[in-house]
Amino acid sequence: MKITPGGVVAAEWTKFSSLRSTWITTGISVLLLIAFGMIASASFSGDTMTSVDLALSGSILAALSVGVLGALLGASEYTTGMIRATLATVPRRSPVLWSKSLVAGAAAFVTMTIGAFAAFALGSAVLNEKVGGLGLGDDGVLRALLGAGLYLGLVAVLGVALGMLVRSSAGAIAILTGALLVVPVLAPLLPDAISDAVTPYLPGNAGSAVMALAPAEGTLSPWAGLAVFAGYVAVTLAAAAYRLKKTDA
Amino acid sequence: MIQVREVTKRYGAKTVVDRLSFTAKPGQVTGFLGPNGAGKSTTMRMIVGLDAPNSGDILVNGKPYVSAKAPLREIGVLIEAKAVHPGRTAVSHLLALARTHGIPRSRVDQVLDMVGLSTVAHKRVGAFSLGMGQRLGIAAALLGDPAVVMLDEPVNGLDPEGVLWVRNLLTGLAAEGRTVMLSSHLMSEVSLIADHLVIVGRGRLLADTTVADFVTAEGVRVVTPAPDELRTVIAGPGITVTSTGAEELLVAGASAREIGLAAATRGIPLFELTPQNSSLEEAFMDLTRDAVEYEASR
Ligand SMILES: Nc1ncnc2c1ncn2[C@@H]1O[C@H](COP(=O)(O)OP(=O)(O)OP(=O)(O)O)[C@@H](O)[C@H]1O
Ligand SMILES: [Mg+2]
Repeated sequence: MKITPGGVVAAEWTKFSSLRSTWITTGISVLLLIAFGMIASASFSGDTMTSVDLALSGSILAALSVGVLGALLGASEYTTGMIRATLATVPRRSPVLWSKSLVAGAAAFVTMTIGAFAAFALGSAVLNEKVGGLGLGDDGVLRALLGAGLYLGLVAVLGVALGMLVRSSAGAIAILTGALLVVPVLAPLLPDAISDAVTPYLPGNAGSAVMALAPAEGTLSPWAGLAVFAGYVAVTLAAAAYRLKKTDA
Repeated sequence: MIQVREVTKRYGAKTVVDRLSFTAKPGQVTGFLGPNGAGKSTTMRMIVGLDAPNSGDILVNGKPYVSAKAPLREIGVLIEAKAVHPGRTAVSHLLALARTHGIPRSRVDQVLDMVGLSTVAHKRVGAFSLGMGQRLGIAAALLGDPAVVMLDEPVNGLDPEGVLWVRNLLTGLAAEGRTVMLSSHLMSEVSLIADHLVIVGRGRLLADTTVADFVTAEGVRVVTPAPDELRTVIAGPGITVTSTGAEELLVAGASAREIGLAAATRGIPLFELTPQNSSLEEAFMDLTRDAVEYEASR
C-alpha cells in the first residue's frame, strides 16, 4: 500500500465520475455540439462556410461548457473544503493537479471527439443543398474533427487549472469566459496594427484554428494555433501548480 | 509518534502558534486542549502539511509527513468533518481517498461499517447530519489502518452513544499501540479518554502533563485567623503554602486531615478547611484564563 501516480489518477477519476453534475454537463456539451451543428448545417445557405465549419458551429458553446466543467472540478476542491482531505492524503500535492487535469482533459477529449464526428455525420445528413457536402476522406476533414476534440480537451484542462489557481468557481468561470469569448470581441477595438498582430494569438482564436478546414485570412495554421493554445494551458497549469505547492491549503 | 519542535506559525502579523513543542507518543491518547483560537486546529493542519510552519519542524513517525510513501498508513486525520464534496456519496468519497494508495474497496466498506454508516453508504454526503459527517470523517481517518490517528474535535455533534463510541474507539486504538491525539476545548471530555495532556493558549504551551498530575496540582483551602502561625506549623518538605487572602491559605502537598490535626495540636482555630477538588474543568479554566482570546462579556 503506497501512493502511486496511477492511484492518484484513479482517485481523481473516482471524484470526477461520482458527481452527477459531471454527467449532466458532459451530456449537455455533447448535445450542444450536435444540436448547433445540425441546425447550422440545415439552415445555412451561403458560400462562406464549409460543411465542417457548420458541423462544428456548436464548438464555442461546447468549449464554455467543458471549460466550466473543468473549472468546477478544480474550484470545488476549495469551495467544499475537500482539498484538505485531498492534500492530507497526497501531501506532495502536485500529482493531484496533474491527475485532475489528465482525467478532465481525457474525458472531454473522448466525449467531444465523439460529439464532433456525430455532429459532422448528422450535420451532413441534413445539410442545406446549397452547401457542398464533404467526406471524411477530404482534405483536412479528419484533422478538423479530431482537432475539435483536442481543443475541447485542452479547454477542460484550462478550466481545471483556473479553478485550482483562483480557488473560486465564479472567478474561474469569469476568467474562462473572458478569455474565450470577451477578449476576441474587444481586440478589434485596439488600433488596427496591434489588433491584426494580436488577434490570431488570442486563446479562443488560436485554439479554434485547428477546426478550420483551411486557415482563413489572419488566423494561425491549424497545428500552430493548437500549439499556442496548449501554451496558454501550460502557463496556467504552471501557475496553478506553483500556488498549490507554495500556499497553505 | 508526532514530534512538534519549536513550531511557530504566523498569519500576517498575528502569531497563532508560538514556539510550540510537544510529543504525542505511541500507546497513549494525547489530549490537545485550549480555548477557542488557541491554535489547536492550526497545529494539526501543520502536522499533516496543510499549512507550513514559519519556523520549527514536525515529524510524524520520525520523518516529515510530505516524504511519506504511504501517508494514509502513517497518519489518519479528521481535520474538518465537512471537508467533503456534498454531491458525493459516502462510499465515493472514501473510495476517492482510498484509490490514491491502492486501498481496496473492501476496506472502504469495512470502515463504513466500523463507524456505523453502512446503511447510508450510498447517500449523498450533503444530506448528512453533523454527527454523520463526523463519523464519515473518522472513517476516512481509519482508512489506511494508520499508526497515528489525529482527530480535531471528534465528538463535536455526536450524540451520547456516539461520544461513548469515540471514547472506546480511541482508547482501543491506543491500546493497540497507536498514537492517538484528539483536540477539544472541553476538559471533562478529554480527561475521560486521554492519558497525556497538552494544553495551549494563544499558541503557547501552557502545560504538558498527565491527567493525574494535572488535578493533584491543586490543594486545600484553609481559612484561619492565624495564618502565619499555621504556616510555620505545617511547613515541611513537599508542602507549599500560598496566601490567597488576609485569612486564607492554599496548601498544596498536605491533606485536609493532616492540616486539621496539625492545627488542633496547637489550638489554632480553623473557620474553613476545604479540599480544592476543583474539577479538571476549573483547573483548566484557571490555567487558560489569561490566554482566552474570545470571551463573552460579562
Ligand atoms: N487561514 C488563516 N488565516 C488567518 N488567520 C487564521 C487562519 N486560520 C486560523 N487563523 C487564526 O488563528 C487562530 C487560531 O485558530 P485555530 O483554528 O488554530 O484555533 P483552535 O484552537 O482550533 O480554536 P477552536 O477551538 O475554536 O477550534 C485564530 O485566531 C484564527 O482566527
Ligand atoms: Mg479548531
